[in-house]
Amino acid sequence: MFKKISFFLFCFFVLIIPLVGLAQEDNKVNIYFFWAEGCPHCAKEEIFLDKLESKYKEGINLQSFEVSRDSDNARLLVEFGKELHTDVSGVPFLVVGEEHFTGFLSEETTGAAIESYLVSLLEQTGQNNQNSGENTWLENVKIPLLGQVNLKTFSLPVLTVFLGILDGFNPCAMWVLLFLISMLLGMKDRCRMWILGGSFIITSALVYFLFMAAWLNLILFLGLIVWVRILIGLVALGGGALNLREFFKNKEAACKVTGDEKRRRIFDRIKEVVSRRSFILAFGGIILLAVAVNMVELICSAGLPAVYSQVLVLNDLSTLARYGYIAIYIFFFMLDDMLVFVIAMITLHMTGISTKYSRYSSLIGGIIMLIIGILLIFKHQWLMFG
Amino acid sequence: MKVLKFGAVWCPGCLVMKPRWVEIEKEHPWLETKYYDYDQDSEKIKEYKIGDKLPVFIFLDKQAQELLRLVGEVSKKELTKIIKESKDK
Repeated sequence: MFKKISFFLFCFFVLIIPLVGLAQEDNKVNIYFFWAEGCPHCAKEEIFLDKLESKYKEGINLQSFEVSRDSDNARLLVEFGKELHTDVSGVPFLVVGEEHFTGFLSEETTGAAIESYLVSLLEQTGQNNQNSGENTWLENVKIPLLGQVNLKTFSLPVLTVFLGILDGFNPCAMWVLLFLISMLLGMKDRCRMWILGGSFIITSALVYFLFMAAWLNLILFLGLIVWVRILIGLVALGGGALNLREFFKNKEAACKVTGDEKRRRIFDRIKEVVSRRSFILAFGGIILLAVAVNMVELICSAGLPAVYSQVLVLNDLSTLARYGYIAIYIFFFMLDDMLVFVIAMITLHMTGISTKYSRYSSLIGGIIMLIIGILLIFKHQWLMFG
Repeated sequence: MKVLKFGAVWCPGCLVMKPRWVEIEKEHPWLETKYYDYDQDSEKIKEYKIGDKLPVFIFLDKQAQELLRLVGEVSKKELTKIIKESKDK
């Protein structure tokens, strides 16, 4: 029955937009509210909409759709997105007449914008019987100052830096870079050393960026489906358990040697590329090598990027902000590689990061992964920051 | 006593151990050490059955019999203690 109602509402909406646009036959403004269970911004917006409904009850027609448990409602949201030519990957998502509002910061900001637009609609349809004096607070839009920033708004950047470092901090995984540095140190041309090593690191970062962007888009595409979140929660639990196992098992802090055949193949390739006389050929070779090596390594490190992408999707962020966070994650992910490279290039001596620290990174990383896994499965709203 | 050190240029633990051994060798000039590279000295790697973990340090007595084998990063303090204890073996 509800499916039919949803479908009917959707068709009605699609038809009504080009024809009447703002109001229904009874001159009421349609408001469609898409929300998800456990989403704190949705809860805030719901309280605001309740107030709005009682204030303008003569003029508006408010309808709510829960999208995380009801796939029909989720589908309806996607259709709305298509119709409005907008991204509907996040909730709360509110449609007022022809306008839409993604996210909800506070009554004073997003709420004010919604009410202001609604008032203009009601004025057009002659429904605004409110005392304009009551709306003066709309103009008092409060912009959060730096002093008002609370711990929650800081949580996502902190988590990003933390996970980036933990994901990247694996001295044993640095073997390709270390071998490359050992080859570069044998060269006389310092400029060539910097460019070849630097392009290896930058290409590695770009490959990882693309990999994480792919995860992000996959999770955005799958949307707010509960089982996807639970599946990623299980991946986090598995990853956490593996990290803890590594901590308890590798007590002697030794690096495992990568398979002879694979290692020799990569080393031969590095030797060949670095010794190329033509700078352009060496430069191209290094980039191709970085792509190939990192593509193989990516398969081994799918856990944390997937989990982090899911956390990003849970948070109400713009597309630009999401990619910005991925860039921050990758900067900290590559930090140890950059340090080792820069120190080697400046001192002309190779430095290794003690594998002992890597053990502790496995311990902390394992615990964090377990916590995120549990939260994703049971309390995902705790991962919605700010 | 003799110490055989097995490592590789691409192994961070081996790089960490390098300066520690330089100091130890300076402090104990009588100590005989030999370094073998995992990629270049494959015969020795096979002979001493070096597994898939690096670095490895093998302590040999005067008869070239293996006294002790350490795998992974070892502190300078621990190494000095072992060397002093096994000096006459």
